[in-house]
Amino acid sequence: MHKIQEITREAAMSASKALAKLTDVPVAVGVHQLKVLSVAELEPVLAPEELVVGIYLPVAGELAGGALLAIPKKNAFALSDLLAGRDSGTTRKLNELDISALKEVGNIVCGTYFSVLANKMKIRIIEQLPNYSYDMFGAITSQILAGLTQSVEKALFVEMEFIFSPILFRAHYLLFLNSSKLEELV
Amino acid sequence: MGNIEVTMGAVAAARPPDNLTASAIGSCVVTILYDPASRIGAMAHAMLSDRRLPHLKRDALDATSSSARTREGGNERRHEIRDVKYVDAAIDEMIKKIVTSGAKKGNLEARLVGGANMFPKLKSYIGRDNVLSAKKKLEEEGIEIVGECVGGSVGRSVEFSVTSGIVTVTTKF
Repeated sequence: MHKIQEITREAAMSASKALAKLTDVPVAVGVHQLKVLSVAELEPVLAPEELVVGIYLPVAGELAGGALLAIPKKNAFALSDLLAGRDSGTTRKLNELDISALKEVGNIVCGTYFSVLANKMKIRIIEQLPNYSYDMFGAITSQILAGLTQSVEKALFVEMEFIFSPILFRAHYLLFLNSSKLEELV
Repeated sequence: MGNIEVTMGAVAAARPPDNLTASAIGSCVVTILYDPASRIGAMAHAMLSDRRLPHLKRDALDATSSSARTREGGNERRHEIRDVKYVDAAIDEMIKKIVTSGAKKGNLEARLVGGANMFPKLKSYIGRDNVLSAKKKLEEEGIEIVGECVGGSVGRSVEFSVTSGIVTVTTKF
């Protein structure tokens, strides 16, 4: 797990810097939990019916898979308030601008991870466009898994802690990779 | 009365007073079969449209269906459980289970739930293909579809009362 821990730490640092630029506030991204799970073990990570904002970044090239940043509803709304400069607790429904900003956060978190991964593994990863969904965690992950079943057996699960000073919240980062590549990392 | 949760890649049959449920259905398709005369029902929660993936690794298949396997209990069920991730195999298995439980195949009616695309801007046909595959298979088996709540880009949960034959679909919105 040493290699993947190092990559995750480095990616979290890069994401902190990029998110601080985006939001204009100091941002710290911490890794709270990190484990490799079989796809069957993913369900209990979050309640399947929990409402989340999911930003999914598929990749191609030498890696098959993608990454999902799943932000529980309450935290996504708090983050939207911060990103839009609204008072905390204002957001009741996400508008187009909120969605766009959340997609950018997801793109930064997932994208920086893939950049670090590509550098460390010396491989070429082609990022595709980030995709947004606001729905039940289980419904979102099941579609990703269905699309990747041919190549993905395990996923890296990272619980991340974001501190957008002074707001703290947790989100879940899931990295789906073809097993041979994941095995090289753990 | 008990709720039997039918997880992804699983098939179950039930009699009154039990309910069959499936939660957080995205692109998966849930097929419900019911014999109103004998009041026996069955549900399948399938993930992929058909069995065209011969290169799929055994380990991957086992890993993704372990919860279904546990619920069914017993190693001898492994092969069937693994296959029922696919819509056509799941419907075959449902028919077998429901008929073994006492239902008449000629009485069966079907309902479909799910088949969404959770990322509307992602070009994905998984949900659509799952629904088409279920419709094709049910037509081949001569089972009429009496209700459906499919497509779109919304996650669904479903509860099927075997006692009343009523199917309740809920979303988070």
